[in-house]
Amino acid sequence: MNNLLRKLRPERLRELVLLLLILVVLIFFSTVIEYYLNARLFNRVSTSVAIMGVLAIGQTLVILTRNIDLSVGSMVGFTAYFVGQHLSQNNEITPLVAIFMAIGIGALMGSFNGFLVAFCRIPAIIVTLGTMALYRTLLVEYSDAQTVLTVNLPKWLLDLPRVNVLSYERLNLRLMVAGMFIVVILFQLILRNTSFGRKLYAVGSNPEAAKNSGFPNQKIIFAAFVLCGALAGLTGFMFLARFGNITVVAGSGLELKSVAAVVVGGVNIFGGSGSIFGAVLGAVMIDLLENSLIRWLQISEFWRDAMLGMLILTSVATDSVIMKRFRNYRLKKLSQTNS
Amino acid sequence: MSIVLNKLKSWEGFLSLILISVILVNSLNSESFLSIDNQVNLFELSIEKIIVALIMVFIILNAEIDLSVASMMGLSACTLGLMVESGIPMIPALVLCLVIGAMGGAFNGYWITVFKLPSLVVTLAMLIGFRGLARVLVEDRSIRVFPSWFESLGQQPILGPIPLSIIIFLGLLILALIILQFTGFGRYVYFIGINQNVALYSGINVSRVKMILFTASGIISALAGILFAARLGAVRGDMGLSFELDIITMVLLGGVSIFGGSGSIYGVILSILIVLYLRNGMSLSNITGHVQTGVIGVLLILSVLIPNLKKMIQDFWNQRRKQMQ
Amino acid sequence: MTLKTSNQPVLEVLNISKRFDMTQALEDVSLKMYPGEIHALVGENGAGKSTLIKILTGLQQADQGELRLSGTPVKISNSQEAQAYGIAAIYQEPLLFPDLDVAENIFISHQDQGFFVRWDKMYKEAEKILNDLGVRIDVHNSASGLTLAAQQAVEIAKAISLDVRVLIMDEPTASLSDHEVKQLFRTARQLKQEKNVALLFISHRLEEVFEIADRITVLRDGKHISTRPLSTVTKESLVREMVGREVDQFYATRKTREVGKRICSVKNLSKVSTFSNISFELHEGEILGFAGLVGSRRTDVGMAMFGINPADSGSIELEDKIVKINSPQTAKKLGIAYMTEDRHQLGLAMPMSVTSNITLPSLSRYLSRFGVIKREKEKKTANEFKNRLQIKTPSLEQEVGKLSGGNQQKVMFSKWLNTQPKIIILDEPTRGIDVGAKAEVHAMIQELAENGLSIICISSDLPEVLAMSDRILIMREGRQMGILASREATQESVMSLAMGQKMGLS
Repeated sequence: MNNLLRKLRPERLRELVLLLLILVVLIFFSTVIEYYLNARLFNRVSTSVAIMGVLAIGQTLVILTRNIDLSVGSMVGFTAYFVGQHLSQNNEITPLVAIFMAIGIGALMGSFNGFLVAFCRIPAIIVTLGTMALYRTLLVEYSDAQTVLTVNLPKWLLDLPRVNVLSYERLNLRLMVAGMFIVVILFQLILRNTSFGRKLYAVGSNPEAAKNSGFPNQKIIFAAFVLCGALAGLTGFMFLARFGNITVVAGSGLELKSVAAVVVGGVNIFGGSGSIFGAVLGAVMIDLLENSLIRWLQISEFWRDAMLGMLILTSVATDSVIMKRFRNYRLKKLSQTNS
Repeated sequence: MSIVLNKLKSWEGFLSLILISVILVNSLNSESFLSIDNQVNLFELSIEKIIVALIMVFIILNAEIDLSVASMMGLSACTLGLMVESGIPMIPALVLCLVIGAMGGAFNGYWITVFKLPSLVVTLAMLIGFRGLARVLVEDRSIRVFPSWFESLGQQPILGPIPLSIIIFLGLLILALIILQFTGFGRYVYFIGINQNVALYSGINVSRVKMILFTASGIISALAGILFAARLGAVRGDMGLSFELDIITMVLLGGVSIFGGSGSIYGVILSILIVLYLRNGMSLSNITGHVQTGVIGVLLILSVLIPNLKKMIQDFWNQRRKQMQ
Repeated sequence: MTLKTSNQPVLEVLNISKRFDMTQALEDVSLKMYPGEIHALVGENGAGKSTLIKILTGLQQADQGELRLSGTPVKISNSQEAQAYGIAAIYQEPLLFPDLDVAENIFISHQDQGFFVRWDKMYKEAEKILNDLGVRIDVHNSASGLTLAAQQAVEIAKAISLDVRVLIMDEPTASLSDHEVKQLFRTARQLKQEKNVALLFISHRLEEVFEIADRITVLRDGKHISTRPLSTVTKESLVREMVGREVDQFYATRKTREVGKRICSVKNLSKVSTFSNISFELHEGEILGFAGLVGSRRTDVGMAMFGINPADSGSIELEDKIVKINSPQTAKKLGIAYMTEDRHQLGLAMPMSVTSNITLPSLSRYLSRFGVIKREKEKKTANEFKNRLQIKTPSLEQEVGKLSGGNQQKVMFSKWLNTQPKIIILDEPTRGIDVGAKAEVHAMIQELAENGLSIICISSDLPEVLAMSDRILIMREGRQMGILASREATQESVMSLAMGQKMGLS
């Protein structure tokens, strides 16, 4: 028992519980909705999770350092439009260039956020509240209120959401989803196995101790924001591929969903603990609930947001109460055997 | 002379300078700027925001934040519309709206005081939640069912050229000023913002103060929603979207520290004028709403950036002076 | 295997001076530290010990003087440089990362880690270091929730992993239990003997100093007074050097006082994992001292009586009526006041004025019908206290943070006296204030008792407790060890109870 307790760090337990809850949700809905568990559900959920998942990774990096980024929605909208517009005017641009363009623009916007938060010492909530408005304005001005239309976009882009990596019967592993998996694994490895990743956790866990240990706190926070922006840019590209039509309100509201996914996924809002896997699982849970509740109770899609708000609250409340109890219990048990 | 210089050095002095510049630029840009009509109008247009800014001062002074105010505004406006549509008479409907505001605020307060969750997270969640509820009630529609006396509530001049809504604002302003600067409750708000633990250990009922503040925030937001509905004559699920940006900017620009414990209403009066005149000036120059929002966003950042830079420069000079001694 | 103490000092402090604004924190201080030796540093609060530590660890720079490492002059400009030179410090409150594993905490500040983290290697090496120290902590645990002693062990492991040559231990035993202190000393001796580390041990506890040190340096008022090997000092000679005068003169002698009727009766007050079965009676005009080593949970009992962290079981009776104290508001209404030991974080709002701090807990008395503050009445009260307690401040509107420690303490006193309490619990009332102010505070406490106030005085300063109290309640690790009438008590009898030896039949 104690061996199990030892291996079961609180973060792992949280992920497992979330996974279990997702299974419970699936089982529950399959009993009340006809033809629920099928390939279509998987395809639909996985595609939208692909987009939210990548964004949630970026938000996780920032939240781990005890900050928050509310401007990601505007960043997604802007990069989607920017890349979309360039592709419309010049169909010759290769996919790779388009992706790099999106990531680059995102990183640039992220670095502006990072500069203000890390080096000018302005609280992240203020900076990103301001840049949320600023980047949206940038989009409006840049677009001159014109929409990016699907008709003008190159075919490879429009087909992208349907490209499959694997196919089994009707179950499709889309390229975009596979892409998300790659990003997830990449960042999970970075966070767990590189000294940069560990420093990210350290800064969020105890900024004072981090400074004492010689860490460049400000540079680390700056890097987190830049990466978040880059990932928001990548999300923008995927967003463009999925929706084609980009209006000036594109991406609005995504910032809130990304925070919700991260919080539901067990990342501590005070920083210092949580994992990428957890954040992605959070995105899955949210998407699953959204898609399923609509079909079950014929609840209008408008309940989605109200439910999202309650989800955030209950996750954070549960975490603060239960996780603390579990931590104490585990430590008590483990130290008893040691003393 | 040195007193004047001292005043100027302070944040309020700085704001006064900015305000004067904005007024100058605006009057040069457009002859109608200083007209009574325009002045009354620009206040009316933002009445919801400036009313909520008053309660936001208390909340930020208390080292908390309420991001859900704009969504509560929308929620109360939409419930009003729905109630009127279903035939409920206006007066009870209005009262019910305020009750809903109180309940929403108390809901926030509950999670913050009992579960000790950070107000940022709770009110962020309710920013989504209240907005969602508003949409559930009204869906995609726009409800236009209000009696005409209600619609002209905001515009009808009562005291000279000044309509009821502005009178309400002025009344609340005076109330806020008195409570904050002269009453025990106001002092509690400051102390809790400076150091919550000291307040706790001094026997102040911190939870009660916070609960009162967040409930008040809900009520005021609901009131603002009612005035908003009266002004527009209609309600929609997405009304008041992003208003929290302007509101928080007004408070922070006014010199209230985001960390709590310092700032006053006097500065906020100046910053409200700055924000309103800026928006008005931009409108008169035909700058679109979206760009205006971007400008406000920049203003928000600057309102914290500038004091920070000032402090960094001061610290730098102090270091140099010490080294040279 | 003991390595011979080398003749070459590993660290030399030469004529170091440091001034902060008005205070000369250190004046021409010199000392030498040798490898494989435990060097104790003693002195009162304000003697300059923490300033010296800050200079050695790079957090402060000396104004004058020189530091030498193994004979070479060095400049230590920041904590990284100190670390590179092999100088490390552990404090009363370790600075660990609560969300990271113990192993990671130990190796976190290694600069040469490379890009990739090698978990296996880290866990293995961490285990080895902790085993060598004889400490059993699971390196896979996160650092949060470790006991203070365990956290300190992790800090020591951290220092070892960085090949520490000079380890500074700043009041490390303050919050440790008996058993943990023994463990710490075992570790210290191991470091000294097997790794030839030079240890600088700072403590107020003379018994501990005598148990572990090889050499003792006394500082007083920023100056170096003496450095002697252990064999040539006695406790009395040390105290004399620390204080500069005979011990007896130090505390206001207690005047005999009539104690009134019983005002409070506490029976079996307990709180899970905190304290258990605390029982005592309190009379009007009585000073009940709470003695014990730090960590004995006396503060928790005080907080429970003030309603901040209420007890789980047991009863409190005030004037023969059982009361339930669930919040500070209730405690205030019942006439109980609690003056905290941490005036910076819990006691006073530093940016606010003297007046508003004084009236804060009793503000409701100063409000008119609509809640408006009666400023004149406030000023009058503040003035009264300023005169009565001799608070030195340029004006009553002055920010409390700008006053000296002693005056801040007086403002805190005023604040609580203004609530017109019947019982006041003082938690370390003379901590961090200079000798002159201490005497003033003592006289004030006596005067309050003479006027009928009941006082519980929690203090870690044994002579202070003995001099002031009518009776002394001794606690150890949350348990009540006994109550002594102070005329029968001696430092030894109180101390032995505080350290766990049961009293003989009496």
